[in-house]
Parts: sequence; C-alpha cells; structure tokens
Amino acid sequence: MANSETPLLDELEKGKWPSFVKDLKQAAGKNPMARDLIHQLELSYKDRIGHWKHGGIVGVKGYGSGVIGRYSDRPDLFPNVQAFHTMRVNHPTGWFYKTDTLRKLCDIWDKHGSGLTNMHGSTGDAILLGTTTDHLQSCYDDLSNAGFDLGGSGSALRTPSACVGPARCEWACIDSLDLCYNLTMTYQDQMHRPMFPYKFKIKISACANDCVAAIARSDLSVIGTWKDDIQVDQKEVLAYASSINIQKEVCDLCPTRCMEWNGKELKIYDEDCTRCMHCINLMPKALRPGKERGASILVGGKAPIVRGALLSWVIVPFIKLEPPYDELKNLIERIQDWWDENAKSRERLGELIQRLGMRVFLKAVDLPAVPQMVKAPRTNPYVFFWPEDLKKEVK
Amino acid sequence: MSDDLKAKITELFREKSKGDKKMFYIRDVTKWLPGEDRHAIQNTVKELLDEEVLKYWSSGSSTYLILTEFFPKE
Repeated sequence: MANSETPLLDELEKGKWPSFVKDLKQAAGKNPMARDLIHQLELSYKDRIGHWKHGGIVGVKGYGSGVIGRYSDRPDLFPNVQAFHTMRVNHPTGWFYKTDTLRKLCDIWDKHGSGLTNMHGSTGDAILLGTTTDHLQSCYDDLSNAGFDLGGSGSALRTPSACVGPARCEWACIDSLDLCYNLTMTYQDQMHRPMFPYKFKIKISACANDCVAAIARSDLSVIGTWKDDIQVDQKEVLAYASSINIQKEVCDLCPTRCMEWNGKELKIYDEDCTRCMHCINLMPKALRPGKERGASILVGGKAPIVRGALLSWVIVPFIKLEPPYDELKNLIERIQDWWDENAKSRERLGELIQRLGMRVFLKAVDLPAVPQMVKAPRTNPYVFFWPEDLKKEVK
Repeated sequence: MSDDLKAKITELFREKSKGDKKMFYIRDVTKWLPGEDRHAIQNTVKELLDEEVLKYWSSGSSTYLILTEFFPKE
C-alpha cells in the first residue's frame, strides 16, 4: 500500500466521532480547491503554523460585510487555494430549510466555490468556504436570485439569530422567529455597511433554556420569560413523585429555593422565582410558564477575544414583545448609539459597560436601576447612586 | 451630504496615509474631526465608499477603511 500523502490529517480520521478530514477527502475527489486545501492543512500541521493570510477583500457591490478574504501564503505549492474566500450567507430564521432550497444553495456553491460548507458557523450563518475573487460578485448574484442574502461580518451588526421558538417548542414565551426576521430586515444597513466600533450581536431565545446561548454569546440577548405565576397541575406533580425525588431534584436545586414540597402538594412562592425553568424542565407535564408572557433584555455577553468572556446582564426584567417591536428597537438604537459614541475600536458593549460603569450606561440609555440587575440587591453596591440622587434622599 | 465634509475626510485620509499606516477604523475618522457630528461623518464615509474613493478592508472580525489607491492587490 502506498504511503499516505497526509499522515498527520489521517490521524484525525481515527476514532468514533465524525471527521472533517473524511469530508474534505470526499470533496477533494471532485474539486481541486478541496484537494489543495487538504495538502495545505497537512503542511500547517507539519510546520505547526497556519498557512493563511487573512483579511482584505469584501468584494460584493454595495456591501462591506459577508465576505471574508483568505489567501494562501504558499500559492507556489497550492495554486488552487491562492484565494480561498469565505462567504457568510444569512440563514433562515431558526435554521428551517426546505430540501430544495438546500440543493439550490449547494448547486450555487458547487458552481462558484470549493463545494465545502460549514452548516452553520457559530454566528448562525451558512458558511460557504473557499471561492476566488472573480467569483464573489457572480456567486452573490446567484445567491440573491435564489432568495439569499449575505450575513454580517467585521465591525457590523452580525446576523441576528433565534431559536426554533414557537415553530417546534412548547416553552416559547415569545415569537423568536418573527422578532429575529423583523430585526434582520430593520437593520439591513447596520449589517451590510459596517460603521460600528466592533461587532454587535443580537440573539433571541424564546425561553430561559436559552437554546441559542444568547446570554453567553450576544451583546444584546432577548430571552423569553413570563411575569405572572407558573401554572401548576398538582395531580401531575403527584404523578412525578413516583419517578423523581421532587425535594432533592426540584426544590433543592431551585436557585432561589422558592418551592416547598410536602409529599402531596408543591407550593411555589412566585415572587421569589427567577424564571430559570429548572422545575419546568424536570416536570414538564405538571408545570408550565405563566400566561403573561414577554422577554427579558440582557446586554454585554461575549466570548474572550480582546478581553475575557462575559455573560449578559439583565437590564429590562420584563418587556411585552409584539410587532412591530418599536419599544425594543428604540432601546437597541439607544444602546448602539451610546456604544458607538463611547467605545474604543474593538471594544464590545460589555467591556465598555465594565470600563465606564453600569450607572453611566443606565443613565445614557434612560433605564432605571432595578433589583433584578443584581444578585443580592440589598448587599451588592453594583449600581451606585448619582450624587444628586443621594442629596435628594438626604432631604 | 456636504461636499465640504467629503473633501475634508478625503484630504484627511490622504494626509494620514502618507506614512506606513494606510488602514483606519471609522473611530479614527470621527476622532480626526472632533467638532463634526458622528452620524454625518459615518454617512459621508458611506458615500465615499459608494463612489469608491474609499474601500472597506475586513479581517473578518474588524473592518477598516482605506483609500482605493492603497487597497492591496492580490
């Protein structure tokens, strides 16, 4: 048997898990770009250095984002990946595709690019990996004719994303799909014409289970919640008592200890409930979210890049969300405007709030400090008073 | 959109691009013109992009602005 040309990559095919190397090799059978990509990647593993030069071209007329330039630093060895640009395609909200739409997308990519895709990138977009500069505009034109648009990249509003929401999930407290689509259409200019200090992400989860991890990944998280009491079916609670330990698994793990179980009845002190959904997840037949539904708005989440990771803070504990979502849009624009005016280049919203303080942020966006922003409101001086407020208090 | 502002921004790009540094953040541009309205600057820059006086240069995570004549050739 002949020696493999890619012994290091071959190692990544071993094991029980699916391997991207296997996929690459399959693609290499029909596309010279994929073939050169494998060999460049093998060289990268051998040299222990990436062989990409990144950045540059944004190449589609009228757009400043959606294309990420990539060039090989060894075009002498790998001429087919001399240019290997990525295109980010705005995914359908909730990632619902018809199969014929997916076929169309793949046909376009086979025509213009390497045929390799990343479905989906962590931003949510459908990522088309590897095309040349002269194909960028024609690929975009074909995508556009098929009903697709590019997503956000660079210092722009990134493609908003949302969980599947009411389309498939009984816990949805808001129509995450409609909201995401509405915001996407409203903020086309912010997505396609980067003018922000850095990236800005909006993610929407229709309940506190937060399936799109909005709280950890987005500058502005919209998370479905309810305002009134959890709906309880005591008969079903009793039925659960035979299969789970309600005291240990439900009551003792409630973050605010807002429940009592006496062996017959579950008592919930809703005024202390943080709407985390732990109890509802464990006893879905017995407990349901309340009837008065809306969302909490949080800001400041991000992964570590310039500075460390942050989880979002609650800034609006409850807001009713109904089309055309003017109240939310107004808030988003106030927040973006303050960030745009005050942030340093490459400073995310959460980092700016940390630098200038939550007090300054709340004043700038005209929001009151409320106890839900703080874990222990009576002891934690997280939101400081303004001197003039203190004077008022003394009088 | 004021032609004056357009000319001012273009001139500043030429001035600031005389050294090795050719790419600038939009934040740099607003800092060059502290007395001007930020939104007016951003809208003017968008016009200069439409007219291809300026070009976007994107690393994927950050976006820069560059005079078209200095945009790196492949």
